[in-house]
Amino acid sequence: MTYDWTLWIVFILIGLATTLPRGSFIVLGERATLPEGLQKALRYAPAAALAAIVVPDVVMVGGAVEALNPKLAAAIAAVLATQLSRNPWLPFIAGMGVLWAVRHFL
Amino acid sequence: MSPSFREGAREGFRVFLPLSVGLIPWALVTGMTMGGVGFTPLQAMGMNVIVFAGTAQLGTLPLIAAGSPVWLIVVTAFVLNLRFIIFSAALARGFHGVPRAGRWLAGHLLTDGVFATCLEKMLSHEDPHWRLGYYLAPSLWSWLLWQVFAFCGVMAASSIPKGWSLEFMATIALIVLLVPVARLRPMLLAAVTGGVLAVLLRGMPLRLGVIVAIVGGIAAGFAAERWQGEGR
Repeated sequence: MTYDWTLWIVFILIGLATTLPRGSFIVLGERATLPEGLQKALRYAPAAALAAIVVPDVVMVGGAVEALNPKLAAAIAAVLATQLSRNPWLPFIAGMGVLWAVRHFL
Repeated sequence: MSPSFREGAREGFRVFLPLSVGLIPWALVTGMTMGGVGFTPLQAMGMNVIVFAGTAQLGTLPLIAAGSPVWLIVVTAFVLNLRFIIFSAALARGFHGVPRAGRWLAGHLLTDGVFATCLEKMLSHEDPHWRLGYYLAPSLWSWLLWQVFAFCGVMAASSIPKGWSLEFMATIALIVLLVPVARLRPMLLAAVTGGVLAVLLRGMPLRLGVIVAIVGGIAAGFAAERWQGEGR
C-alpha cells in the first residue's frame, strides 16, 4: 500500500491530538485545575480505547465476526505471554509465531 | 544553562537511564509496524518525530492501514492520550516560572516513563532550574532512543517479506499495554465493555460505533468503581 501527501496532514493532526493533552495543564499552569470526578473518569479512557481497537481487529475477518481465526489465536497467545512472563519480546514472538503457525498448518 | 540546571539534568539522567532500556523494544516494534503498513522510511520517521507518542502511533496505524476516516484516526489518538491530561495536571506545579515555549516543549516530550520517574522530585525540589533539568534530561534521552530504534525497526521491516503480516505487531503491542491495565476489576469492565460495544456497533455510520464504545467503556468503569466503593 502507498500513501499520498495527505498522510502528512494526518500526522500533523495526530500530533496535535497527542501534544494538546500532554501540554494542557503544564502550559496552563496554576490557572486551571481538573475536577476530581473527571480525573477519575479519564483513568478509564486508555483501557476502553485500547480494547475498542483490539477486540474488533482480532474477532473480525473481512467485516464479519469469525470467532475461530488465526488472529484471535495469536491474540490469546500474546495475552498469555504478557501474563506469564516479564520478557518484553515474548508476546511478540508468541503472537506472531502462533499467527504464522495457524495460517500455515491448519 | 545554570549549574543547578546541569546538576538536575545529571540526576534525572542517572535515575532514568536503567528504566529507559524498556523503551527499546517499543521503538523497534513501532518502527517495524510503520514499515509493515507500507510507510516509506521518510513517512515513518516523519510520523515518529511529529507524533512522538507510542500508544497513539500503534493505535492509529491499524486505522490508517484500513483507510479509516481521518476524524476517527485523530479522535482515537486523542482518546489514547487522554491519560496525559491527568499527568500534565499532576506535574503542572513543577513548571512554575518556566516560559511558555519551554512548557510546550516539556508537554510534547511528556511520556509515561518520564512522568513516573520525575513526578515526586518535580513537586518537592525547590529550585526551578534544577527541576527543569531533572525533567528535560530523561525526556530528551527518551526522544533520542525513540527515534534511533524506531529507525532501526523501519529498516528491519523492509527486509521482511509481506506475507509475515508485520502490521499485526501493532495489535500485539496494544494487547501488551492493555493486559496489565485490565488487572483491576473496574478497568477490566471498561475494557470488556469497550471491546464488545465496538464489535456490536460496527454497523453505525461513519464508524461512530468506536467512539460510542469508548464512551460506554469509560462509563462502565466509572460506574463499577462507584458501585465497588459503596459496597465497602
